[in-house]
Amino acid sequence: MMEDAERALLRSTVEDAIADASASTDDRAAVDEALVRIGWREMLCAEPRDAIEIVFGALGRTNATATVLDDVLAAGLGAQPRPDLAVLLPWFAGWGPPGSLDGDRVHLRGIASVRAATAAELLVVCAAGVELRTVTVPRTVADVGAVYGVDPDGGLRLVRGEVPAADAVPLATATWDAAVACGRRAVARQIAGADRAMLDLARAHALDRVQFGRPVAGFQAVRHRLADSLVAVEALEASVCAAWDESSPDTAAVAKAIAGRTNRTVTAHCQQVLAGIGFTTDHPFHRYLKRTMALEGVFGSADEIVVDVGRRLVAARSVPTLIEL
Amino acid sequence: MTTPSPAALLDADRVTIAEYRAALQAWLDEHHAELAPRYSPPGTLDEHVAQMQRVKSLLFDAGWMRYGWPERVGGLGGSPMLRTELGASIAARDLTDPGLYSLIEVLAPTLIEFSPPALAAKVVPRLLSGAEMWCQGFSEPGTGSDLSSLACQARPDGDAATASAWIINGQKVWTSLAQYADRCVLLTRTGPPDSRHRGITAFFVDMDSPGISVAPLEMINGMREFAEVFFDEVVVPADRMLGELHGGWAVAMSILPYERSSCFWQRIAYLYRRLQLLVDIAPDDDRTAEVVGDAFVQLHALRARSRATQHRLADGATLGAETSIDKLLVATAEQSIYDAARRLLPGVVEMDDGVIGATWRSEYLYSRAATIYGGTAEVQRNIIARRLLDLGDDG
Repeated sequence: MMEDAERALLRSTVEDAIADASASTDDRAAVDEALVRIGWREMLCAEPRDAIEIVFGALGRTNATATVLDDVLAAGLGAQPRPDLAVLLPWFAGWGPPGSLDGDRVHLRGIASVRAATAAELLVVCAAGVELRTVTVPRTVADVGAVYGVDPDGGLRLVRGEVPAADAVPLATATWDAAVACGRRAVARQIAGADRAMLDLARAHALDRVQFGRPVAGFQAVRHRLADSLVAVEALEASVCAAWDESSPDTAAVAKAIAGRTNRTVTAHCQQVLAGIGFTTDHPFHRYLKRTMALEGVFGSADEIVVDVGRRLVAARSVPTLIEL
Repeated sequence: MTTPSPAALLDADRVTIAEYRAALQAWLDEHHAELAPRYSPPGTLDEHVAQMQRVKSLLFDAGWMRYGWPERVGGLGGSPMLRTELGASIAARDLTDPGLYSLIEVLAPTLIEFSPPALAAKVVPRLLSGAEMWCQGFSEPGTGSDLSSLACQARPDGDAATASAWIINGQKVWTSLAQYADRCVLLTRTGPPDSRHRGITAFFVDMDSPGISVAPLEMINGMREFAEVFFDEVVVPADRMLGELHGGWAVAMSILPYERSSCFWQRIAYLYRRLQLLVDIAPDDDRTAEVVGDAFVQLHALRARSRATQHRLADGATLGAETSIDKLLVATAEQSIYDAARRLLPGVVEMDDGVIGATWRSEYLYSRAATIYGGTAEVQRNIIARRLLDLGDDG
């Protein structure tokens, strides 16, 4: 772990790099390159928690597009992160392996990041009966029938297809679970950053917008919506920290579910407070809303995780406390 | 010398929370039969109170109750998180009601910080060991959320600067367990009626003083946890003043960090236990999975937040307005658990007169107050809006 001062310096370096890169061009490659220049991949290997927390938090707050999630997954799966390697993520709302091995064919059903558009290879974790394998396929399959959905700027697209299986390598289930957990912590942090940004936008609007002769921030109904948003965001941030402190698939799963629930609360309240302007593309709110609508489905939606967790608690007839003092 | 116990083997200043927890859990397992309630659930308030005092006495004698309290009040020293862990451990085992037990955390730190040292040394061990019960006289009929409007009057017997006694007249309400209490931490008006928070003074009052009468109120679940307390020319020695003359607001505010940290951690342990009891008997179907999963996720978010708060307090932070977030999360999670029970056990909360029904019903009804007591949910949101979001004044 880094010292606080070191961490603060890194955070401002990352935020400046992202801001400069986003301002100069719309190309997401600029953000990726900026992060690589300041040592993202080395940080990811040496200080994964700080690297992921700082970079994904900044991506959430700025709504910048990057493909660092591919690196997080690659590292988690034991591959060397590199710019020409993309990783297929689980299908929207789920967290099962995105591939399935069927004889000498691989069925693909997953989410690919924008990196899959340019990378040389796509790493796919496949179910093979009860076991797991990784296969590396040419990235061109990621273009097959791609669906971009609500947030094309975010670069996530659904991929479905079938390719020949070559060189399937066994993968321990625990490794996949740990990689998913790491991805969940990263995405939960990104959503938390976006939720903070939306709350800041709504707060600024409430103070600025005058109706009935005073800022709407003076009306209790408006204040309470913003207060409830802050409560949700703070609880989410604590849950993400706890998921690092007591790192396990369960703490990460619950943190991701909390991210989804929080995002519904924050987007609903903030959009209502932003009212008309938040309904237009003139105001930046819509970008955060659309980005987080997509991110909610990456590594499991809140609804799917909640039901899964509930089923396991009921099956075991046990309610564990996942974190301690 | 007291008999050596497992607790006495731990060095309060060096033991980690995890080591303390492990040793404590082993001791609680070993003494389960001795500690378990002697009544059948749900039990009466008399039974709950007797159980709590008995458990406190056993824990104090074994040393557990003394960790995390300063040595000058009979403690063994060490991090306050140790006593937080103790409160949570006994709540998780349903050995005491955390609402009653939490009065220790609310009142003992106040005495330690604001009373003359000799008084704290004498009375705090009596509270910890279950020899005494104390109550908190804050709210009044005209003073709910707006505490600084309180009116219960204390006037000096002579000149304020040199008075040897103060005379108290007025009324308190919502005073938990007043009918059992030996002492009361009482807020009084010592300034002009409109002096708000600048004219309040705290006293430590013996409840057997002539002129005090207590009238318990029956709550929605049939229990009489709260009471009205009437003060008619009650004489209190001047050396029972807590803090400075007109300094009562600081005394009242000093309670907040403990009420919002260690007490909440205990309440959370109790809520996990409630969800466990629900999972024990709920049908194994899809609806249960969804409802239980939802409650669990909500509880976890609260626990993560509260955990961070405990660590901030232990690291020396001054807790303030941000604990309104903890308060809202606790209240919401508590009501969600009992709403879940009603959904998953239809007819049990409403129409079952057996042990399970009576217990869930009593607790369900009580849980409706979670968004009211200790500062309403609306007041918490107002504080968050003004102090944390800096939205300026309302209205």
